[in-house]
Amino acid sequence: MSQRRGIHVDQSELLCKKGCGFYGNTAWQGLCSKCWREENQREKQRQIQEDWALAERLQREEEEAYASRHQRAQSQPAITPFNKFEERKTKEKSSKVNTVTKFFTPSTKTPPKKDAGAADAQSTPSSSSSASRQPFPDSDRATQEFIDFLKSVKSGREIFKQCRAFTEGMVYKRDMGADELSECVQDFYQSLSDRLHNQFKGSTEHVERVMDEVEKYMMSRLYTEVFCPETTDDEKKDLAVQKRIRDLHWVTIEMLCVPVDEEIPEVSDSVVKAITDIIEMDSKQVPKDKLACITRCSKHIFNAIKVSKKEAASADDFLPTLIYIVLKANPPRLQSNIQYITRFCNPSRLMTGEDGYYFTNLCCAVAFIEKLDGQSLNMSSEEFELYMSGQTSPNWPRPTAAASSAGGAAHTQAHSSLDVLTGLGERQERVVEKARQLESDLIDWTDEVEQKVQSALESFPLDTQSTTTNAAGGTTTTTTAAAAASSAIDSENVENELLPPPLQPQVFAG
Amino acid sequence: MATAGAAGTSGRTYSFKVVLLGEGCVGKTSLVLRYCENKFNDKHITTLQASFLTKKLNITGKRVNLAIWDTAGQERFHALGPIYYRDSNGAILVYDITDEDSFQKVKNWVKELRKMLGNEICLCIVGNKIDLDKDRHVSVEDAESYAESVGAKHYHTSAKLNKGIEELFLDLCKRMMETAQAEERAKGNGASQSASNRRGVQIVDDEPQATPAGGCCSSG
Repeated sequence: MSQRRGIHVDQSELLCKKGCGFYGNTAWQGLCSKCWREENQREKQRQIQEDWALAERLQREEEEAYASRHQRAQSQPAITPFNKFEERKTKEKSSKVNTVTKFFTPSTKTPPKKDAGAADAQSTPSSSSSASRQPFPDSDRATQEFIDFLKSVKSGREIFKQCRAFTEGMVYKRDMGADELSECVQDFYQSLSDRLHNQFKGSTEHVERVMDEVEKYMMSRLYTEVFCPETTDDEKKDLAVQKRIRDLHWVTIEMLCVPVDEEIPEVSDSVVKAITDIIEMDSKQVPKDKLACITRCSKHIFNAIKVSKKEAASADDFLPTLIYIVLKANPPRLQSNIQYITRFCNPSRLMTGEDGYYFTNLCCAVAFIEKLDGQSLNMSSEEFELYMSGQTSPNWPRPTAAASSAGGAAHTQAHSSLDVLTGLGERQERVVEKARQLESDLIDWTDEVEQKVQSALESFPLDTQSTTTNAAGGTTTTTTAAAAASSAIDSENVENELLPPPLQPQVFAG
Repeated sequence: MATAGAAGTSGRTYSFKVVLLGEGCVGKTSLVLRYCENKFNDKHITTLQASFLTKKLNITGKRVNLAIWDTAGQERFHALGPIYYRDSNGAILVYDITDEDSFQKVKNWVKELRKMLGNEICLCIVGNKIDLDKDRHVSVEDAESYAESVGAKHYHTSAKLNKGIEELFLDLCKRMMETAQAEERAKGNGASQSASNRRGVQIVDDEPQATPAGGCCSSG
C-alpha cells in the first residue's frame, strides 16, 4: 500500500504549498523552510497582538473602575491635602496595570535573564508597546537578588521555581478578597517552611533566613496587587484615621501623660527621628522592611524616654509616647500598611519577635486614637467635644497672669501703632505742601526762561543768519576742488602705457 | 489555633509568648527586669527598654525561647488588652498585695482571658511586693482560693528581694510546654485531614507533603 502511494505521489505534491518552487516538508505543514518560518512568525505576531489587546482591555477596565471609584470619593467631603495622596494612588494604579501587562508578555515565561529580555525585544510588534513595557526596577531587582541569594542555598532552584509559580498564580486570583489572598500566601509560607524543615533538613535560623528572602521576593512582586486592594475598604479607613488624627491636633504631651521632655535637645532629636521613621514605613514594599521602620521608630522613642526619665522605658511609658508620635506624624496610609503587614508578613515574625511587639503596640496606638474620648485624656466629654469641634483650643486659655501680660502687650502695641499712624499723616501733609510749592516753582521757572529767551532774541535780531550762509559757501568750494584733484589722478592713468614694461625674472644657470 | 507559634516545627525548640497584665504600679516591669537582668531599680540597666524582653531557657533538655510582652497598665488602655494577649501562650497577672483594687483588676483580666482564649492559655496570678507584708490588704487564702477556682496558679513574689520570680517563670514554662505537647499530639491525630484541607497551595513538584502545618493565624 505504501509503495503504491509512494508511486502516486506527484512531483507537485512534494513542492512547497506556497508555490515558491522549493520542496516542502510535512513537518512544516507542507511548506518549505523559508515559507514555514514566515508563516510561523506571523502566527506568533498575532498571538502577541492578541495578548496586547487583552492587556489593554484590562487596563481600560481598571481605569474605568478607578474613575468610578474616584467619583465616589469626590462625592464625599473633599479634603485638599489629599491631592497628593490621590496622585500617588493614581500612579500606583498605572504601575499596577503595567504589572498586568508584564505578566502577559512572553518574557515572564522564561526565567528572567538578561539575554531573554534582548531576545523578545525582537519579536515586539510595535515601538510603542516596547516603550510602554518598561522594566520594573524594584521587582526585577528583587528577582535578581533572590536568585543570587538562592545560589548559595541547597535546592535553591526548586525554591525559586515554587515561589515564581505561586507569585504568577496570584495574578489570576486578583478578584479574591484580601483575606483569601492573605490565606493563600500564609499557607504558602507555612508549607514552604515546613518543607525546608523536614525535607531539606534546614536549621531554624537557616529556614528563617530563606523565608525572609522568599517574603521579600514575593511581596515586592505582588505589592501593587495586594497593597490596599480594591476589594477592601482599607482606603476609606486610611482617610478616616488621617482625618481623625488631624482633628486631634490639639492633644498635648500632658494630656497623654507622655514621660518625654522635649526641652532636652537629644530628646527632641529622637522624637523627630521617630516621626521620620514611622512616616517612612509607607515607602517600603516588603512587610519586613515596614516592620523594621516601626522598630527603628520604637528604638528612638525608647531613647527619648530613657534620656528624659533616666531609666529603662516600660510599656506604661512606651505606649503613650507611641500614641503621641503617631498623632504628631500622621503617617500616610496607616491602616493600609497595618492591614498589609498583618495579611502578608511571615507569621512567626509577628507573633513572637521583637518586631511583632512593636507592631502590636502600633496597632494598639491606632485603636486608641480611633476610640479616644474625653475620659481617656482626663477631661470632661463637653470639653473634649469643644476641642474636637475646633471652637476652642487648650492653648488659648492661658493662666491669668500670662493672659493679662499678653493683653497689655497687645494694648501697648496698638498705642504705638496709633502714634506711628498720626506721625505718618503729618508727614504726608508736609509732603503734599512741598509738592505744591515745587509745582509753583516750576511754573515760575518756565516763565522766567521764556522771558529770557524773548529778551535775547530782541537784542540780537538777524546777524546770525548771514554768517551761516557764508560758512556754507566756503565748504562747497573745497569739495569741488577735491573732486577736480581726484579726476586729475584718474587722467594720469592714461599715461601708464608709456611706462616701460615690468621687469621679467631672469634665470641663471647653476 | 492561638498557640500556633508555640512549638517550633522542629519539635525541639519552643518559643512562647507571655503577656504581663496588671494595673500600673504593681511592679510588672520590675518583675520582668529582675528576671531577665537580675536588677532592681538599678541605674545601670543595660537594656534600652523593659517592655519587650526575651529569655532563653533549657528545661529538661528542651530549648525554650521566652518572649515577655509588657503591657501598658493604665486604665485607659484596658480596652487594648485583646490586641496584646492575642496568640499568647501564657499570661502573668500581677497585683500588689497592699492594694485591694489591683487584685480586683486581676479578677477582671482573668474573666476576660478565659472568655477570649479559653483554656489554651496558662494563667499565673502573682501577688507582688511581699516585702511589704505588714501592709498586706489581700489575704493569702482569698488569693489562692480564687486562683484555684479559675484554674490558675498563684505565686508570691518580691522583685525587690528577688523572691519567687525564678520559680514563677520556670513553672509557667513547664506548664506551657505541657500544653504545647498535648496540642501537638492532638494535631498528630488529625494530620491527614489538615493536609488535605488546605486549599490554594501550589506545590510545583509532586512529592508528598511531609508534615501538617501548624495552621494559619493571619486572621484576627
